[in-house]
Amino acid sequence: MRELKFLIALWKTNLAAAMEYRAAFISQSIGMVLNDAVYFAVWIIFFNRFPSISGWQLTDMFLVFGISASAFGLAGLLFGNAFNMGDIIVSGRLDYYLSLPRLTLLHVLASRVIPSSFGDFLYGFISYFASGQFSLVGLGRFILSVALATTVFVAFLVLVQSLAFWLGTGGVFTNMAINAMITFAIYPITLFNQTAKVILFLVVPAAFMGAVPAGFVKNFSWSTLGLMLLGAAGFLALAILIFYAGLRRYGSGSAIQTEV
Amino acid sequence: MKKYLAVFKINLLNSLAYPAELVTRSAMILLFMWVFFQLWHITFAAAGSDTINRLTLRDTMWYLLLAETLELGRPRLARVVSEQVKDGSIAYLLNKPYNFLLYQLSSGLGESLPRMGMLFILGGALVWVMAGPPPDLVNWPLALVALAGAWLLHFCVNSLIGLSAFTVEEVAPFEWIYQKLVFILGGMLIPLDFYPAWLQTIARSLPFAYMMYGPARLFVLPDMQLFIQILTGQLFWFAILGGLLLLVFSRGMKRLAINGG
Repeated sequence: MRELKFLIALWKTNLAAAMEYRAAFISQSIGMVLNDAVYFAVWIIFFNRFPSISGWQLTDMFLVFGISASAFGLAGLLFGNAFNMGDIIVSGRLDYYLSLPRLTLLHVLASRVIPSSFGDFLYGFISYFASGQFSLVGLGRFILSVALATTVFVAFLVLVQSLAFWLGTGGVFTNMAINAMITFAIYPITLFNQTAKVILFLVVPAAFMGAVPAGFVKNFSWSTLGLMLLGAAGFLALAILIFYAGLRRYGSGSAIQTEV
Repeated sequence: MKKYLAVFKINLLNSLAYPAELVTRSAMILLFMWVFFQLWHITFAAAGSDTINRLTLRDTMWYLLLAETLELGRPRLARVVSEQVKDGSIAYLLNKPYNFLLYQLSSGLGESLPRMGMLFILGGALVWVMAGPPPDLVNWPLALVALAGAWLLHFCVNSLIGLSAFTVEEVAPFEWIYQKLVFILGGMLIPLDFYPAWLQTIARSLPFAYMMYGPARLFVLPDMQLFIQILTGQLFWFAILGGLLLLVFSRGMKRLAINGG
């Protein structure tokens, strides 16, 4: 409860800080909505020419793209440092967080908001409404799916960024991981063979950010919900474990730095 | 000219200084090409034909490889220039005895060439294994000329976006939207040949097709008439975008306020 209060206070502060540059926040958010919309047009063109790919249709793409975009956006809004934690580790900027009496991982992750993420978050809902699958119950499932997909995505980013404890560098792997996650999440899962699907569930868990939650939004099933909960809990636990294992190796030059 | 060649060489050597990093960064193309192959392999099978609008699966994959090479290999000049404008470091480039824009062009080219080369080698190896050998070597010169023209058009638009930092607070949204317009109207993810006719007409009347589709299409299905058409289009858009760039740059210089340093 204490940590939740802290988290909410941190998010409020982040939001206030982001709104300090209101014009940049709004322009980046609108820009991102347009960016996502233009990107999705590729799929509209594709499915207009080839209406069904291994049973996958444009409606499915709206759902997959919507969940992925909102999860990506929510991760940037609430846990913005998940995208650059490797740099924080390598440059010794964890010192600041370690000196404060809060859960280090939670504090690091939630200390930054990426303004453009709001556009992604919003676009996900637009994509869901445009899918033709809208219903109030469906919206509830969509929101739950986004929350669980965000958990998996942030956990995966933490896992990849924690490699910086061992490798001393993070940037290249982070970009590759994000690209892999997004690329696999927004392509029809029916394209991939069984081996690739195992990878998409266990190594680059893009299935939990796209196809599985999209299936859940379309048709409720307890087994899919169970799978999503298991995926989120499993990857979150693993991320926490690996981060704290890495933290034991952490060292810095005690450089004086300011966190703003 | 010698000084720009020196800037080009320095950036070229800089890019080659850490070969492991160059390879690791370029490895991303393997993922993209593998996913593209899965998509188009199934799409061609679903279409029940070896060719779609004259392109085979092999042509499509090599087309996409060239398009991805250009997209992933071009320098992110918009971000570099906008940061230089915003943090004032542009002042340190302006007081040197060279033209700012030609400096950016030379340094960007030096950075871009090794990356594009590595992307093409890695991606090409995978495409060769998955889809078959590359197009005949006789196809390459026409594509390379068009590729150079496309690179120059990208340079103009990227620099324009970067220089817009003189007047707007944040240039990132312009960069995102420009990139996505290249994705769609440039035919980066789907060859323009597969588009409906009305959209092809629109795409071909805009600069994006000359930035991506032109060189990629010439690479897989070259013909002299198409080459002349693409080169003419590139020259036309280079005159417009290059002129606009010079105008924006000279106006930006008038607005620039340097306070100490």
